[in-house]
Amino acid sequence: MRCLLVDDDEDLRNLLSRYIRGQWPDAQIEAYDPLERDLPDAAFPLKSYDVIILDYMLGRGDGLEWLKALKQRGDCPKILFLTGAGNEIIAVRAMKAGADDYQRKQELTREKLITSLRELTASAVERTVSPDLAARMEGHDLGAKVRIPGIKVLHMIGEGGTARVYLASREDDDEPLVVKILRQEIVLNKKALERFMEEYAMVERIQSRHVARIFSHGNDHNNVYLVMEFFEGGDLSKRLGGKPVPPVEALHFFRELMFALGDIHEKGILHRDLKPQNLMFRRDGTLAIVDFGIAKNIAAADRTGAGEVLGTPRYMSPEQVQGRALDLRTDIYSAGVLLYQMLTGKHMFDGETAMEVAMHHLNTEAPPLPAHLDPYQRLLEKLVEKDRDARFRNADEVIGFLSRKFEQAPPALADKTQPLLH
Amino acid sequence: MSADQYKVTVAKDLADLIPVFMKNRHKELDSLRVALAAADFEQLRQLGHRMKGVGNSYGFEHVSTLGKYIEDGARSGDRAALQARINEYQDYLSKVQIAYE
Repeated sequence: MRCLLVDDDEDLRNLLSRYIRGQWPDAQIEAYDPLERDLPDAAFPLKSYDVIILDYMLGRGDGLEWLKALKQRGDCPKILFLTGAGNEIIAVRAMKAGADDYQRKQELTREKLITSLRELTASAVERTVSPDLAARMEGHDLGAKVRIPGIKVLHMIGEGGTARVYLASREDDDEPLVVKILRQEIVLNKKALERFMEEYAMVERIQSRHVARIFSHGNDHNNVYLVMEFFEGGDLSKRLGGKPVPPVEALHFFRELMFALGDIHEKGILHRDLKPQNLMFRRDGTLAIVDFGIAKNIAAADRTGAGEVLGTPRYMSPEQVQGRALDLRTDIYSAGVLLYQMLTGKHMFDGETAMEVAMHHLNTEAPPLPAHLDPYQRLLEKLVEKDRDARFRNADEVIGFLSRKFEQAPPALADKTQPLLH
Repeated sequence: MSADQYKVTVAKDLADLIPVFMKNRHKELDSLRVALAAADFEQLRQLGHRMKGVGNSYGFEHVSTLGKYIEDGARSGDRAALQARINEYQDYLSKVQIAYE
């Protein structure tokens, strides 16, 4: 592996070099400091590298300009472009300018870097490709093939059980978007396909700022896709990072979630799968719910929900575990479990298996909050009552409770750890 | 700041990189002071941006957090807020405790 590492920050160059050598001890890495050297000229032997890592902010000069110039040369190897977090428009421009992959610098871990470099250099460095890598490469190839009017699919950014997720952009203005392309095994499964299309139909119907916007959907040569809003702020799981958030901030997020639930419940829809990965943040800090893959029309849930157990065990309501008919209160319970996690940084229940966790929701009282979170204990109890008749009945009731008991505070006060009580 | 916020855990195989990292942070602190004295908000913004990018990568989350505040403060030209964050950075660098795992 031969790598050209272009970054003006000595510490980043040291760190990335260390990560690469940890994986490929024989790697030859040339650290290229753009503060001391100009853009490689025509005599520079680009061809002798397997990959280039190129930063966006070069101290002097613009990484995008360097990217364009390098890619104009016929001997340019694959380029991994590093962008700032929360600035996806740069990622869009980089991919359009020919970058082969991008990573957000602030979130770049050892694993992400190695995965990206393995993908970019698979043919040059490794004779055989692991099944996992092969699957990801297949995903990248698929994204390049799908044609969507007015949209350019740029790069695979995630994979789920039902769909692959791509960063895309609107051709008119480079607006970052997300394209979800359904896996073929789902397309061939009539029930699963119906569920995916129901997601589209439901989300379109909701029209709320607390729900991810869907711009279009369609089918290109049997590749079923959705085009939806891109969330620059990432998801709640990323925000939490296994740690608690300050109570004022947790309460702010929770209140946003209640507004979101109020909106979807008003349209007669239960989400049924609330979890940190399904709560997304926009750049301005507003929160929206995504992934309505197992959501259901309330009337239908009441009529046919019995016996069917769907959802994520960590956040399931007791009635969901039992496969009983569901109503609004199932989402209220799951939101309570999320609040517990936001406040404490821990899961409400742990277990060796998904079943064990699910059974805790059915039989085990929620652990009390630590003493410093006492002001939130009553709220939490009313959210996660096992008996749904004793629970808050709907989001409006919860919002009313919050208004009476807590003073609303903007996220700017996030570093204050004391709740504001009346 | 609570005592926990001064504690940082760094991967063992990065231990030999930390002296250079810390030396660069102290140099950065000096540069921040100079830039603030000169009211050079563009330089402050760039320095904040760099802190934001490099802190988390090494496990120093608070460096990234302060970097973000400094970048934002530079954009709005808020000298008092910038001074407070630079003081906080100085305090942090003088007290940070690093453990290697």
